[in-house]
Amino acid sequence: MSEPLMLFDEVRDAIVASGGEEIQMCMQCGLCTGSCPWGRMEEKAEFNVRAMFHMGRLGYDGYESDDFLFACTTCNQCGVKCPRGIKIPNVVRSMRSVICETGGIPKNLKAVLGSINSQGNPWSQEKDDRTAWTAGHDVPEFTPDKEYLLYVCCTSAYDGRSQKVARSIVDLLKAAGVSFGIIGNEEKCCGESVRKIGAEEEFGNLARHNIDLFNKKGVKKIITTSPHCLYTFKNEYPEFGAEFEVVHYSELLHNLVSGGKLKFSKPVAKKVIYHEPCYLGRHSRIFDAPRELLGAVPDLEMAEFKGNRDFSMCCSGGGARIWMETKAGQRFSDVKVKEASESGSQVIATACPYCIVMLEDSLKNQNKDEEMSVKDISEILKESL
Amino acid sequence: MNIVVCMKQTFDTEAKIALDANGKINKQGVSLIMNPYCEFAVEEALRIKEKHGGEVTVVSVGGPEAQDALRQALAMGADKAVLVDPGMEEVDEFATATILAKAISGMQYDIILGGFRAIDDGSAQVAGRVAEILGLPVVNVVVKLDIEGGKAVATKEIEGGSQVLEVSLPAVFTAQKGLNEPRYPSMKGIMQAKKKPMDKKTLADLGLDAAQVAPKVKVLSYFLPSARAAGKIIPGEPADAARDLVKALREEAKVI
Amino acid sequence: MAKGIWVYVEQRDGKVKKVTYELLSAGRKAADSLGEELCAVLPGKGVAGIAPGLGEYGADKVYVLESDALEQYTTDGYANAVAALAKEKEPSAILMGCTVTGRDLAAQVAQKLGTGLLTDCTDMALENGQLVFTRPIYAGKAFVKAACPEARPVMATIRPNVLAVEGTQAGRTAEVVNVTPNAGDIRQIIKDTVLQVSTRPELTEADIIVSGGRGMKGPENFKILEDLADVLGAAVGASRAAVDAGWKPHSFQVGQTGKTVSPVVYIACGISGAIQHLAGMSSSKCIVAVNKDPEANIFKVADYGIVGDLFEIVPLLTEEFKKIMAS
Repeated sequence: MSEPLMLFDEVRDAIVASGGEEIQMCMQCGLCTGSCPWGRMEEKAEFNVRAMFHMGRLGYDGYESDDFLFACTTCNQCGVKCPRGIKIPNVVRSMRSVICETGGIPKNLKAVLGSINSQGNPWSQEKDDRTAWTAGHDVPEFTPDKEYLLYVCCTSAYDGRSQKVARSIVDLLKAAGVSFGIIGNEEKCCGESVRKIGAEEEFGNLARHNIDLFNKKGVKKIITTSPHCLYTFKNEYPEFGAEFEVVHYSELLHNLVSGGKLKFSKPVAKKVIYHEPCYLGRHSRIFDAPRELLGAVPDLEMAEFKGNRDFSMCCSGGGARIWMETKAGQRFSDVKVKEASESGSQVIATACPYCIVMLEDSLKNQNKDEEMSVKDISEILKESL
Repeated sequence: MNIVVCMKQTFDTEAKIALDANGKINKQGVSLIMNPYCEFAVEEALRIKEKHGGEVTVVSVGGPEAQDALRQALAMGADKAVLVDPGMEEVDEFATATILAKAISGMQYDIILGGFRAIDDGSAQVAGRVAEILGLPVVNVVVKLDIEGGKAVATKEIEGGSQVLEVSLPAVFTAQKGLNEPRYPSMKGIMQAKKKPMDKKTLADLGLDAAQVAPKVKVLSYFLPSARAAGKIIPGEPADAARDLVKALREEAKVI
Repeated sequence: MAKGIWVYVEQRDGKVKKVTYELLSAGRKAADSLGEELCAVLPGKGVAGIAPGLGEYGADKVYVLESDALEQYTTDGYANAVAALAKEKEPSAILMGCTVTGRDLAAQVAQKLGTGLLTDCTDMALENGQLVFTRPIYAGKAFVKAACPEARPVMATIRPNVLAVEGTQAGRTAEVVNVTPNAGDIRQIIKDTVLQVSTRPELTEADIIVSGGRGMKGPENFKILEDLADVLGAAVGASRAAVDAGWKPHSFQVGQTGKTVSPVVYIACGISGAIQHLAGMSSSKCIVAVNKDPEANIFKVADYGIVGDLFEIVPLLTEEFKKIMAS
């Protein structure tokens, strides 16, 4: 016989104390779970947001695992639907932070935190190699007379594939005559996904380090290559006293194109489907800039996913999931690649380094990497310069 | 069935190792975790307790920061924690084992578990020494453990295979990877852990004096491996390249 | 008064492990410098025939501990026998190979003798008349040099293949001393021993890993990696792309979303080097890459690379390794 379930209020109290007070606003309607991409996968997933909120609030066990609590990609599809206006990813983060404090996070994420602590990046790469992507490329150094700091995401700093994105962005900024520079090896990871692991202490260390560094160097405005850095610099760093003006490169380029400072002349005669990064779209409300930038490229034919803007499906790389394994049949990026292929597109364009990693993996595992490619919009724009 | 788990807090696997101004290992800016092999030991202890009843006590030797690792074990489901702070700069395996054995000797135990090695110094000898001091049999590198009627049947790794051994309890076992998959602490477990006893002891509390735990081993110096040289692409026809590569691995890199 | 440097002779079915000869060679040099005798300690049953030959490798004396109780290795039996003899003869040092058995035995003997033990050493040297040992810590990310200044005997386990077998003298014999061993009460009762012909080590435990990626083109082609792995005693791994393609199960996956590994040698075949893969293996001591694309990211982290067709190169490597492993 099963044991009776006992309520355990202290669990709810701990979640609330970690910043998840909104868990108490939930009315258990289930719209979150109904809209969650996990529910739309071929293979049934264990993850269920509504149930997790219920269990968390009553103090039941049983969701503290890779496939449940740590499954959420924090894409915020549910948050858009929630009739109570709960910032669901934030509650998930606070639930994870209770676990993380005790050291019980998924194995793969422990390695990520170790790398963050010792190298300042999540990819276990040498901190002194952070500017390796600039080799053979003329990238200005940030000095106080420069208008913008270009902050390159760890992924674009270290991943050979993603380094091309960083270089494209540099070329575009130079072409538009933007005054900018990079800091490089002294920078540490922005910490957005680190906080989503629940690692509040590590996140605080990163934020304080970067804020001090930026202030010391005289930074006022920041361009980010990744929507994740954008989100945390803009919305979370102010908790630590930051006062920077932060833009995603796509917003800045969009303004430059509108102002006539940047023109795309070379035709790119391809059908391009735009995959919305969650942290650019839903989280940061930047929907038009990337589309209009692509629209400014001669001969480029735009296509849209059926679910787009607020209803676009995540690539599954957010919320620290990029460092965890997702079973075939449950990968959101596989579904996106299938749909992109059916639309007859030759290119999946996006504007986030995580999305590129996830979508390219899916392209390969579905053997579609010969017929299609994944590109950052900056790469397409650079081609068109 | 009362089970004692000897455990250790270590640097995490991704830690960047550097030396400080005194030529010692720099402990700044590294995450500390429960030694993964000790996690297997804790998990096994919990499984035995779930099957046979009893109590699980986790014991560690270390500074106040080691409480985090003990707290994790409590959150996983252990009942009690004991931390002995030796208050000494240098502690070797002899000293650690002496302290652990002394702490354990005052407890009720049927089974003592430990990780077969720690990922930091990898010395793989503390649990065996504890067994010796307490006069108990030890079985190392255990990948399977069954407890039945005052006896344990343990499968251990040996070179080129495995061996099944039977020992009478009480006995000491060290956990190897593959023994189990450790659980995460549950939210409820974490809350409950806050109320579980964490007994902090000094050497004097255990009735040990400095002479009894004086290290036998003396560290002379630490050094870091030489920096990685730039990568080499080995040219030539496939047969030549293969031969030159193998030669380089043996004679230059000295790794094969 | 301490007398002699001892080497534990590890043998199975009368066949002596190579590490024993390595220890005898190194022990010979130390014994000469210190003016002590080098003794081999040989527990077992039906092993006396091995004893005289150990002189060729440098042993002056061989203590033969013949007993039915020592037919098979048991922790208690061997530790009791060796420790009892050491208590009587009071050697100045005891060296063992850092093997599963050596590691198991050394800890028990060290504690019985109340002395210090340095395990997993990669070097041994004499400095100012004292044996000094080097051992890797933090998975080889640092090394420590340590000694056992006062307690005797000094004990150490030394990794196989790090010391050279040299100065052997054909025909030199050792004095054989038969000792009636005291195996004591053996509490570990052997119920079963299973020897597998070819067991590859577990990925995260392996010293050498041979890994294949999408360039392997199909599951059947992993055979060539397995052949190479078996020559090297290596584990076989795979990239996420190869696992996704269904060529290998997830348990083979090396990388941030699979297993994080740091072997001494990592041989990447047909792996392009996606960041998630690199994050899971770039702390390997020596990285070898074979890939047909000279631009592949894997070459950026590789210590040695060959640009070429892996289907041609891997079998050639297997043959070359076979030659040097035999020598």
